[in-house]
Amino acid sequence: MAPITEVEHLTNPLVTVEQLYSLQDDDRNHAENGQSVRYAQAVLTQAAGILLRLPQDVVATSLVLLQRFWVENLGQGHATADLKIASEASIYLSAKLSFTPVSPRSVCNVYAYLLSTSSSLPFIGCPPPSAATPPGPQSYYVSEGSYEREREKILLCESLILSSIGFDVHVALPHTLALTYVQALGVSSRKLVKRVLEHLNGGLLSPQLLYLTHQPNALAVAAIYLAAKEVGVKLVDGNWWEVFDVEREDLGFLVLAFGSFVGFAAAEKERWENEREKLRELLSGGG
Amino acid sequence: MPEKYVRDKTELKGLSRGRWKESEELEVSVIKGKSRWAQDEDDSAASIAQRKREKEEQRRAKEDRLRQADAQQVHPSTPVDAPGANGDVARPSKRLRTHVDTHRPGDGHATEPQLLPFPARRFAACRDVDEYERLNEIEEGSYGLVSRAREKATGSVVALKKLKMDHANDGFPVTGLREIQTLMASRHAHIVRLREVVTGSTWKDIYLVMDFLEHDLKTLLEDMAEPFLPSEIKTLMLQIVSATQHLHSHWILHRDLKTSNLLMNNRGEIKLADFGMARYTSQPPPPKLTQLVVTLWYRSPELLLGTDTYGAEIDIWSLGCIFGELLTRDPMFQGKNEVDQLSRIFALLGPPTRENWPDFRSLPNAKALHPLLSSSSASKPQPQLNFPYLTTSGHRLLSSMLSLNPSSRPPHPRSWPTRTSQRRPRPKPKEFFPTFPSKAGQERRRRRETPNAPLRGEKVKLLGVEDFARESFGAGGGILAGREEAEERGSR
Ligand SMILES: Nc1ncnc2c1ncn2[C@@H]1O[C@H](COP(=O)(O)OP(=O)(O)O)[C@@H](O)[C@H]1O
Ligand SMILES: [Mg+2]
Repeated sequence: MAPITEVEHLTNPLVTVEQLYSLQDDDRNHAENGQSVRYAQAVLTQAAGILLRLPQDVVATSLVLLQRFWVENLGQGHATADLKIASEASIYLSAKLSFTPVSPRSVCNVYAYLLSTSSSLPFIGCPPPSAATPPGPQSYYVSEGSYEREREKILLCESLILSSIGFDVHVALPHTLALTYVQALGVSSRKLVKRVLEHLNGGLLSPQLLYLTHQPNALAVAAIYLAAKEVGVKLVDGNWWEVFDVEREDLGFLVLAFGSFVGFAAAEKERWENEREKLRELLSGGG
Repeated sequence: MPEKYVRDKTELKGLSRGRWKESEELEVSVIKGKSRWAQDEDDSAASIAQRKREKEEQRRAKEDRLRQADAQQVHPSTPVDAPGANGDVARPSKRLRTHVDTHRPGDGHATEPQLLPFPARRFAACRDVDEYERLNEIEEGSYGLVSRAREKATGSVVALKKLKMDHANDGFPVTGLREIQTLMASRHAHIVRLREVVTGSTWKDIYLVMDFLEHDLKTLLEDMAEPFLPSEIKTLMLQIVSATQHLHSHWILHRDLKTSNLLMNNRGEIKLADFGMARYTSQPPPPKLTQLVVTLWYRSPELLLGTDTYGAEIDIWSLGCIFGELLTRDPMFQGKNEVDQLSRIFALLGPPTRENWPDFRSLPNAKALHPLLSSSSASKPQPQLNFPYLTTSGHRLLSSMLSLNPSSRPPHPRSWPTRTSQRRPRPKPKEFFPTFPSKAGQERRRRRETPNAPLRGEKVKLLGVEDFARESFGAGGGILAGREEAEERGSR
């Protein structure tokens, strides 16, 4: 078993209705679809986390911090130059808070690669098969000068994130909780557990900001509920979710959200694949 | 305007609908799913009994979880919507449904669940430090600048601690981050409450807003005419131990426990403060922890011997030092440097031996001690701690906290507080504590020279044989000299 890395504090701060309405207003004021942009940024962040070999919980934390930042710092996210920097800063910050810190230099390198034409990100990298010469490492080389400038921006953004979210950097994740619940329900199905984790991870990228609207216990329960139906595992009779303090309406909402995520992600992928250049520019900050 | 939390899920759905319309059917199926269960139910008596048993078990599991959640209390800066407090419809977004009745298995139907407000909190940008009016400076410590201040809107008096931002090359200093993170996560009756974090004019001006307490124990001990009574010390120690225990059970090491980081109000209440060295740990501990933690006089032997994997035991050692200091009003081991510190410890407690600390020789700095220990030490009897007003069990406790071998120090036995409070002398009720004039900044304090917490980035010294030789033989007493000698050397 993995070592216990940190106390599992049970709850997260939640988004308020007012905050959600302002987010919606803000989205309307911008040409680019806010959900789409946030999703792309989240995918970029996650990919960076993986390349930086950060543990899953650190990446998850950075995604949630990024969402809190969006909500509290409206208008900023759409200013294109900030998308990449904010993503870098949230990864850098959550790694710093963890047992596996990373240097600003590796963060810059990884993002340069991910936003280059050689990118391994399916909807950012240029489709290489047809290209005469596949793009090489020079396409993501970061010079000392541009590194210095970028680092300044990242560090400034780190502080901006911190003060925007009132230094509330703790993120309670539902993953371990979900495993405990599955056990408590007396089920032992690898398939089920795998599916539960997939839903929880998908939920992190959901444009509905699920980790800001619901507490970990509700996320865990909904993922279990949906996964059990999908893989055909029968759970106990009765309203078992109530035992975990989850109400029927929350459960319904989350099951919907988890269930529709795959479709959403596929649509987004298709959409951006046709607009690679635009997305790259949007994320790297055209100016 | 009162804050409203997301409470109506239709509101939520409306907000994030967009492209999600098609999925409405799914929800219907969720609800249908319920009714299907209802039909499928096998109503035989046996299965009902079985279900009841299961429910009971689940309820107990849940109560356990609730007790845990309860212990964590409410977030410091949380504006909790008290239901009905402002008379309007704003109710907390989430409620924790709990059975507080003690429902015995097998006695029929459960009573209606009782609703408790869930500690909903929001995240919001830091407010400006201008919300506070500074009254006076309290003390400049090693990491921050603390002042007494008044919140303009409410008039409540707080302590403002400015974070030092020395290491801007890596962005926000990790020590400051940890200080905020660990303190924010630690909600406990005997840990100072962090109300919020506010910002000044630049991003480098970050202030912690804490409840203000009249005293810190160090200043208090220096100014008191008489030391605390044993019954008072017991009350103080119980509080300090409970705070430390809370941290450790949440995987936080404080790493700078000492009297100046223990605050006290005029109601006999202690609050642990200064999380400037604190951090999260894990089991097994993360590799390569810095040895440069804990103020020298409170630093444990394993740290002095250069270990880089350590745990909660280092805090227990510091607690022992605090205990002793409360008894005499003098810090127990006032070393001038690492070597001197060790020699004072060994002088009072005896040297480490193969018996009491089998692996101490494998610690980085232990080689330097080798020639000294192999010769004279083994035969000498272990010195005994001797405090005139301390009971036998008190002595036993103190010497176990001050075990050289970290694994001999008591972890936090849960029963400890109850057991000790039943013994004589009984702990003095907090309300009967004497009050003292608060010096917090109103007049300049008399300050004794005491070492500061180690600075981050300071060089870690690997002790050499010469250091020990100089310390041990230079002053004539040797590393095993009696306490009087050690004290004499210390006062030069
Ligand atoms: N909440 C508080 N109320 C009153 N005094 C405080 C408070 N916090 C700190 N102090 C005073 O300031 C001193 C230094 O604060 P501390 O947090 O220990 O900072 P440092 O890291 O500089 O040691 C303490 O020893 C205490 O005297
Ligand atoms: Mg201090």
